[in-house]
Amino acid sequence: MVFLPPTTSTTSAVDVGLKRSHVDYYRHLSSEARSRLPNPIKSIWKAAQVKTGTINMGNGDPHHTLYPICEMNFVVPSIEEHDPVQSWRSGTGEQNIIASYKDDPCTLSLRTAFAYGAGAGLKEVRDALADLNDRIHSPPNHTVSLSLGNADALTKCFRLLGDPGDSFLCEEFTFSAMTNAALPLGIKWVPIRMDNNGLVPSDLERILSNWDEATQGKRPHVLYTIPCSQNPTGSTLSLERRQQIYQIAHDWDIIILEDDPYFFLQVRCNSMGTTRAIAEVLPRSFLSMDYDGRVMRLDSFSKIVAPGMRLGWVTSNSFFAEKLDMLTDSSSQHPHGMGQAFISELLGSSGWGVDGFMKWILSLCNEYQRRRDLFMDVFRQKVAISGFATAEGTTIWDTPTVPGGPTTNTADLMDELFRKLLNSGLVMMPASTFAIVDRTGTTGSHINDRVNFFRATFVGTDVTIRDGLTIFGRTLEEFFF
Amino acid sequence: MEEPQINSNGTDNGDIDLSHHLSDEARNRVANPLKDIIRVISECPVIDLISMANGDPHHSLYPFRQIMYEVPSVQDAPDPVTSWRNNSGLAQIIRSYKDKECALSIRDAFPYSRAAGLQQCIDVLTDFTKLMFAPPNHHVMLTLGNSDGITKVFRLFGEKGDHFLTDEFSFPSMTNSPLAYGVKWVGVKMDPGGIIPEELERILAKWDEVKSGRRPRVLYIVPVGQNPTGSTLTVDRRKKIYAIAQRWDLIIMEDDPYYFLQYDIPQTNCASTDPDEFIKNFRSTLIPTFLSMDVDGRVLRIDTFSKVLAPGMRLGWITSNKLFHQKLADYTDSSTQPPHAFGQMFVTEMLSEHGWKVEGFCRWLKSLRMDYQSRRDFLLDVFSARRMFVWIEVFFERHPRFVREQYSGGSPVVARTNTEQLLKELFERLMNTQGVVFIPSSTFAIPENPLWVESDGHVPLSDRNRFLRATFAGTEDIIEKGMIRLGNGLREFFQD
Repeated sequence: MVFLPPTTSTTSAVDVGLKRSHVDYYRHLSSEARSRLPNPIKSIWKAAQVKTGTINMGNGDPHHTLYPICEMNFVVPSIEEHDPVQSWRSGTGEQNIIASYKDDPCTLSLRTAFAYGAGAGLKEVRDALADLNDRIHSPPNHTVSLSLGNADALTKCFRLLGDPGDSFLCEEFTFSAMTNAALPLGIKWVPIRMDNNGLVPSDLERILSNWDEATQGKRPHVLYTIPCSQNPTGSTLSLERRQQIYQIAHDWDIIILEDDPYFFLQVRCNSMGTTRAIAEVLPRSFLSMDYDGRVMRLDSFSKIVAPGMRLGWVTSNSFFAEKLDMLTDSSSQHPHGMGQAFISELLGSSGWGVDGFMKWILSLCNEYQRRRDLFMDVFRQKVAISGFATAEGTTIWDTPTVPGGPTTNTADLMDELFRKLLNSGLVMMPASTFAIVDRTGTTGSHINDRVNFFRATFVGTDVTIRDGLTIFGRTLEEFFF
Repeated sequence: MEEPQINSNGTDNGDIDLSHHLSDEARNRVANPLKDIIRVISECPVIDLISMANGDPHHSLYPFRQIMYEVPSVQDAPDPVTSWRNNSGLAQIIRSYKDKECALSIRDAFPYSRAAGLQQCIDVLTDFTKLMFAPPNHHVMLTLGNSDGITKVFRLFGEKGDHFLTDEFSFPSMTNSPLAYGVKWVGVKMDPGGIIPEELERILAKWDEVKSGRRPRVLYIVPVGQNPTGSTLTVDRRKKIYAIAQRWDLIIMEDDPYYFLQYDIPQTNCASTDPDEFIKNFRSTLIPTFLSMDVDGRVLRIDTFSKVLAPGMRLGWITSNKLFHQKLADYTDSSTQPPHAFGQMFVTEMLSEHGWKVEGFCRWLKSLRMDYQSRRDFLLDVFSARRMFVWIEVFFERHPRFVREQYSGGSPVVARTNTEQLLKELFERLMNTQGVVFIPSSTFAIPENPLWVESDGHVPLSDRNRFLRATFAGTEDIIEKGMIRLGNGLREFFQD
């Protein structure tokens, strides 16, 4: 992997002339995105910033002396611990306090954090995340914008790129809460077949080359994928598959929405290393190979800090970034100051720094690995032994094997089994929740023949895992007799 | 608070069926399928249900266990804002814990949650809303501030080809947003008291659906400290507007970020230490809202903490009828998700036992209002000032290069003077030569359409586009310097 020196959030062009093709980004925009006007007040505000000494009597911002918070501090784990997550969980580790001030020096002053800002988010935070991006992905030429998490980022991308009647591509089992969000916008989903290793590139190619615009409408120009610990199947795309998919996207001019909230939980080794060392063992993102600028990568703090952070970042070419920011300026506005202040301090020199954050993440990975191993052990003992189900991937995808070829009663049997489990005291998500039914006439078989899966998570306590799987094994046996 | 005399069109509980107002998008939106499973789970009679369904990180993995906020003490402070600004008052510490008791713990606040917001936060804001506005039958939902709230409501009702009504000078950051998906604006004439009810009625009565499409069904207004003119609608106008809304089946979007900064109210200096007395007195000084008179359920009131805490809070709430509340919650679920936990925790603690409590928050609000008022008074010598903004009228007809043509038929909305060009010149001259920025009224003007103006005697909006919006949100020093530069700039401009 090439290590490029860190750059600011709007990177200057890196010479990648050999591989980059000229992409017409404009053609991908929805008519709404094309029509959107910039905010006239912000234009005036920008013009006023140009000349020093200009008095701005144009904006109605409350003065910072009126903000009723002069300090916020956070009690966080000390990153000096050998295994910070374990020490934190057991309460045996040291703690540190990181603080943000309004009137005293700190990494990101509350004066800035609590004021109105641009949709993209504060420069200090974007720069810190662009730096992280550079160390991990070395993106060729991209811009960072802050989001309120991946659901926010993704649904904004739908509005940015999708018109009513458009068909978008996705994995046949996917995070349906998000695909459902696109439906009222008039977007239709075209499911791509998966196997144990995730999205099948040849099926993607097949769909695109067989597409008939006369009967199916405009050819799809967007692919939504969850490449790591895919939700719900748990698979992670190999480097080879990613390269194949990127090549197909290049050939058919497809925008790739890389939804990657579990990316940082992919580390499988036990060493505590620097960011650079970790970068080498993480999967290669679509962003890292994005010479065309056709990838919009969605990162989130939800799984690596907490869901309630409601903070993440989108990395894309500068044209899309600008259009995305205009949409943000016309809707939810920039993220909250408190979250930006916290992340700035955490990643800054008075906090953990980027290397410290990576250390925390490594420690988290080990914890999740431990739980996954426990899950697999118990699964083997209590469930697999009966021969009715297997588990693979990170989120476990169990397959009760059901007889029959196409056109089976799999969906009904799954429904029955789900309810039986519920009454026995266990909840797992049935595959039907995540299944994308093909409505554009591209696939041969109906997905309901393949919904013989449950999604189970291992984020609960050890007791939950043991007791839950015991119930699962027992109920499964009862079901099959 | 005086009781509004509004007749109800509705059923016993007040709500009428307003579902026909929903856009196609809102109508087609399905609930999150994962939430469906949650419903099935909640209806399951088994106790001790083990869930292996959700992917939430366990709270033991959150890298924080306590958060501290240092805020002004409002308890025994007669003027907490001034003390805070001068650093002369006491401070108070508010804390959020993960594992100890508090109003909204880190453990409860940081998992994935329902779109309307965390229950503890919704409860405190519902209580506050009921106390201040006494809504007949409404529900509270959290937003990420007013821009978020307003643009979500626009999407709830607006479709391509629709027209929405608003003040003829309005806030373009908001009014520009639905233009991108084909919603157009109809500007209603204003006077110094704000939107003119008779003008609103006239536009609706005169509307030709054949020529202009569906009659407008949504009215978007900022009834207190209107942006940019600074006007506040009187109670009488509010009642008239509500009656018009009932007659013509309008939805009213009450965008009210400056509500608690109302000035020139007879100050009954309440020195009472009894919290309920103080709150009652505080409330009595505030003007009745559209929400409080909303017997039909056609008002969506949009409140925010941006001007009373800080813009970076990115937190507010919408109060609306049950149907709209549900639709907004579904939309939030399918988009931004609920607001950040930090903000919800802070607000909940602030309004609770260990914080300022509601009474303390009212003390802060009252003090804040006095602070803005004193700054406005500082400007009173020069201009007629309101709220956070001053709407400065410039008499361009006194300019040597002012041109006026006679109206001789043709479109009633085409400009007959060069007001707009002179305004642009003045704005640029002030910025580039004097180094002071004001926003010209052209930024706020809603384009007129001949189809909905009177042809006789109508003065085109272009010819009335003669204002500069100034803010007095800055320090006294900035205000003084700014005014000096304005004075110099105007003198030079008129001596042209």
